[in-house]
Amino acid sequence: MKELKFLIAIWKTNLQSAMEYRGAFLTQVIGMIANNFIYFAIWIIFFNRFKDVRGWGINDMYVTFGVLASAFGLVSLLFGNAFTLSDIIAKGRLDYYLSLPRPVLLHTVASRTIASGMGDFIYGFISYGMSGYFTWDGLARFVLAMLLAATVFAAFLILTQSLAFWFGMMTNFSNLVLNAMLTFGIYPITLFDSYAKLILFTIIPAALMGAIPAEFIRAFTWTTLGQLLLGAIGFLSLAIFIFNTGLRRYESGSAIQIEV
Amino acid sequence: MTSIEVSNLQKTFQTKRKAAGLSGSIRSLFKPEYSSVEAVRSLSFQMEAGELLGFIGPNGAGKSTTIKMLTGILHPTSGEAKVLGFTPWIDRQKLAYQIGTVFGQRPQLWYHLPAMDTFILFGKIYELDDRETKKRIDYLTEAFEIKDLLDVPVRKLSLGQRMRCEVATSLLHRPKLLLLDEPSIGLDVVAKQHIRDAIKRMNQEEGVGVLLTSHDAGDLEALCKRVIIVNHGQIVYEDRVSNLKRKFLTTKMVEVRYAEEVSKDYAINGVEILKVGNYGVKLKFDTTKTPVDFVMFNLSSVGDIVDITISDPPLEEVIAKIYKEVENSSLMDNPRSRKSIGTM
Repeated sequence: MKELKFLIAIWKTNLQSAMEYRGAFLTQVIGMIANNFIYFAIWIIFFNRFKDVRGWGINDMYVTFGVLASAFGLVSLLFGNAFTLSDIIAKGRLDYYLSLPRPVLLHTVASRTIASGMGDFIYGFISYGMSGYFTWDGLARFVLAMLLAATVFAAFLILTQSLAFWFGMMTNFSNLVLNAMLTFGIYPITLFDSYAKLILFTIIPAALMGAIPAEFIRAFTWTTLGQLLLGAIGFLSLAIFIFNTGLRRYESGSAIQIEV
Repeated sequence: MTSIEVSNLQKTFQTKRKAAGLSGSIRSLFKPEYSSVEAVRSLSFQMEAGELLGFIGPNGAGKSTTIKMLTGILHPTSGEAKVLGFTPWIDRQKLAYQIGTVFGQRPQLWYHLPAMDTFILFGKIYELDDRETKKRIDYLTEAFEIKDLLDVPVRKLSLGQRMRCEVATSLLHRPKLLLLDEPSIGLDVVAKQHIRDAIKRMNQEEGVGVLLTSHDAGDLEALCKRVIIVNHGQIVYEDRVSNLKRKFLTTKMVEVRYAEEVSKDYAINGVEILKVGNYGVKLKFDTTKTPVDFVMFNLSSVGDIVDITISDPPLEEVIAKIYKEVENSSLMDNPRSRKSIGTM
């Protein structure tokens, strides 16, 4: 409860900071919604030509892309620094968070809002609405699945970016795995054999961000809910453990920082 | 009561070494070489509650590393430290409620928002209730003279104005101890004075202890009662500022104006003549070698004195002299060097 109050205060401040430049804020939000529509057009063209890929149709794509976009948007909005954590570690910018009486990881990742995330977040709901699977029950499952997918995604970002404690600057590597996560996340899961699926549940947990949440949204099963919960708890615990272990190796830095 | 107790604190960093050029980069890619840099070496000192302690030294002396260990930002390689009864790197969160920190090179104010928004956020971070936060903001606003700055986005403030807001932010939760790492860096004379006055006031009114690192001897002179000088991660001098002055301010500068014209070959034994003008002379002498009354007698024997100014050299010169003597001294690696240099 104590941490939730703190998080709400910091998110409010983030939002105020992002909205300080009203024009830029609105352009980013609207621009990102438009961008997603344009990007999705390629899948519409693809499924017009092939109709279905091993039982996976355009409607499934709408749901998968929707939940992935909203989860991505939510992490961008609420935990924006998860995308640049390695940079923060390598440049010694954790000092600020370490000097304040709050959990370092939570405080760090929650201290930035990426305004375009609002566009992704909204677009995800629109995409689900257009999927043809929309029901009110489904919407509730969409929200739950999206929250769990966002947890897996944020945890995965933290995990890979925390490697900066050992290897220094990890920005390029982090971008690489981020792209892999998003790319595989929207591919029809039916395309992959069991070995590939194993990778998509573990090393690059893209299935837990796209296909499995989509399956759960379309129809409730305890198996998919279990997979999502297990993935979210497992990856989050691992990410926190890796970050805290790495924190002992933190070396700070003397770079002059001119803004927060 | 002791607020900081440090014993044999040590911090060693592993630094990557690489030969210059592309071949060096390629070699380093396959066979990286590391060397150890001892940023802090067997540091031991104490600070009393409510004390104003200056912690100074040249660049790379280990000042910031020490402050970072005392706030729990860095884990030491070895040694012990207690700050307000807490081990900083173990009880970081508990300690953070009791101390305030300002890193002159690392702002804590939100750059795009007015300082007031950061104050409110910090109120939540330190779990103050809204009424208490407001009351405290009012008090600090008056103490730091920042009432007119609170609603202006921080990016539009001058460095001096921003620094006043930074220090005020760090005092929002009524800390018992304030750790200031170069708070006056880049500030003009007036801005420095503002900050010093406000810190002094907080020390007097609320008993806040202050550990201050600075390159500015003026900060030391204006604020601190005691000083620790560090170099190469070790304490090389530790004493009261008044003793430092007494021991090292042995040189006097004198400017004299005469009623009559002064001879160009003006000279006094044991006195260094810096400048001879038509009616005035500027000179300096060491009081341990040349007695003051001898100099005064000789000055008055030249002619009728119209005006005279006697001053000490700036403390900055004294500190530079200490650094220089330490650099030249082989005592550097001797743990007892602190005493030896203290009696120079």
